[in-house]
Amino acid sequence: MKYQHIILIALLIGYSCQKERITIGTNVSDTFYLDNDNASMRITVEGNTSSQVFLLLVHGGPGESSYFYKSDYISQNIGNKYAIVYWDQRNAGASQGDSNGNDLNLPQMTDDLKKVIQLLKGRYGENSDVFLLGHSFGGLLTSSFMTAGNNQSLVKGWIFVDGSQNYPLNDTLTRQMLLSIGNQQVALNKNIPQWNTIVSYCNAHTKNFTYDESSQFETYGVDAETYFDGVKQFDILALIKENALKYDWPLTSILFNYLYSSNASFNKDLHLTEFSSVLYKVTTPTLLLFGQYDFICPQGLGVDLMNCISTTDKKMVISPISGHNFMYQDEVLFCREVNEFIGLHK
Amino acid sequence: MHFHKFSLILLVTFYSATGFCQEDSIVGEERSSNLKLSYNSSLIYPGARIGIESPIARTYLTKSLKSGDKKEYIKDQFITTNIFWYHQPNFHDNIYFTVGWTARKTRSNGVFTEFSPEIGYSRTFLGGTTYKVDNSGNVTIEKLAGYNYLIASVGGGVGYDFSVVKSKPFSVFYKLNLLTMDPYNSTVYMRPAMELGLIYKPKDFLSFKVKSRRIYK
Repeated sequence: MKYQHIILIALLIGYSCQKERITIGTNVSDTFYLDNDNASMRITVEGNTSSQVFLLLVHGGPGESSYFYKSDYISQNIGNKYAIVYWDQRNAGASQGDSNGNDLNLPQMTDDLKKVIQLLKGRYGENSDVFLLGHSFGGLLTSSFMTAGNNQSLVKGWIFVDGSQNYPLNDTLTRQMLLSIGNQQVALNKNIPQWNTIVSYCNAHTKNFTYDESSQFETYGVDAETYFDGVKQFDILALIKENALKYDWPLTSILFNYLYSSNASFNKDLHLTEFSSVLYKVTTPTLLLFGQYDFICPQGLGVDLMNCISTTDKKMVISPISGHNFMYQDEVLFCREVNEFIGLHK
Repeated sequence: MHFHKFSLILLVTFYSATGFCQEDSIVGEERSSNLKLSYNSSLIYPGARIGIESPIARTYLTKSLKSGDKKEYIKDQFITTNIFWYHQPNFHDNIYFTVGWTARKTRSNGVFTEFSPEIGYSRTFLGGTTYKVDNSGNVTIEKLAGYNYLIASVGGGVGYDFSVVKSKPFSVFYKLNLLTMDPYNSTVYMRPAMELGLIYKPKDFLSFKVKSRRIYK
């Protein structure tokens, strides 16, 4: 008898927290999950759902979280007009599962993304307009999505922020940028020990980069943008401190998912992945946003993407005060460009 | 009656220690199980525990100090069975069942410390409606979506046993636990939790005959 009570309580808890709630309004916050191939991925929709326009954020990593993309400024300046969709990819953020490491790969994540969009349209109406925004690794994932089958017909526009569609080219461009700007900085007597280390590494590693070399370039790229006074620094610890409790971040899930995904074996496959050769398929309006001081995904990647896609409706904007996190480092320009792009194409 | 016996044993231990110094003895002792109820929270997220701790051993320890004074302790060991629940909005609800071993050391003033590893089964319920989308794009709702995990926890705490000095049948305690759930996304999930709770000691509830030792040092 007592076991029946326990089961009953469990069922009540399960039902009560999973009751469907679809809110249409100008300032909503709905969280739900997509279960796809051994992963349950968190999706939080915030802002103005009555607009029926959805800006879907595809975060970086692999293994980072969409929690990091929520800022008051963006909520107040984009979320007031459109709905912002925070999707935690599999094995990231608040997404949950059990033994699903074998499903962590780019084709699977591309399928996840497609189903996220189908779910949004299922919940909010087939005529909803979805705009895809890929940042950093999200650039690679959205490139995979946009060039597969007829996927791009599901979205009204593609926003590419400090992203990469071609990892081998990315390594080459990062090295070139570190080397050329590093030499300039040494000549200007700025941060000489740090730049000398970087320049020496770049001179010693010239081509056919291994995964370890690629990772080292990225590490130097992360450091490099902090050496410039003109770049607004992005303080992730301050962001966590400010938002973690306020927005119920599952901190240990975010941490352990990140540690797992960022070290997962599929990163070695990604290291050689490129979509430049198939980007000609893209006919969807595209906005590219790059930070001038982004060494991790240099703006040369944006030039390559601009040249590869077939759409004539394309625009590239460079922020003079940003590194790799345009949306935080130049949020005024970011919101203005995103709003203008969505306004034109919704 | 049980608590009279407890006091008597304490008294006997204290006095016998002076007369039979260094001699150990083992006796059988009928002891009741305890009921444990606590608020089980992780930072600001609520939860609860209901548990039963069944005694398996007890040691009365009397230490002679150089000053001539004596210090007395009771060391208890319990097997515990527990049901826990916690709720983190938009993330998950977790109901988990554990069995564990608890070692508790109670001083003569009633203050105790305890340590307990536990292992068990966890069932989570995702913190939102969960959907499935098939390859044709059809959307369906998945009922009671969540995962099964192996759960392990280790914790330590302090408390005060009102039965030692005031003969009241309960204790209060504060405890910190670290939970791990596996396999969580092919890795582990860890969660710190704190408990604030009450242990009720009925006179006769699931009683067991346990070995009771007396040690004089």
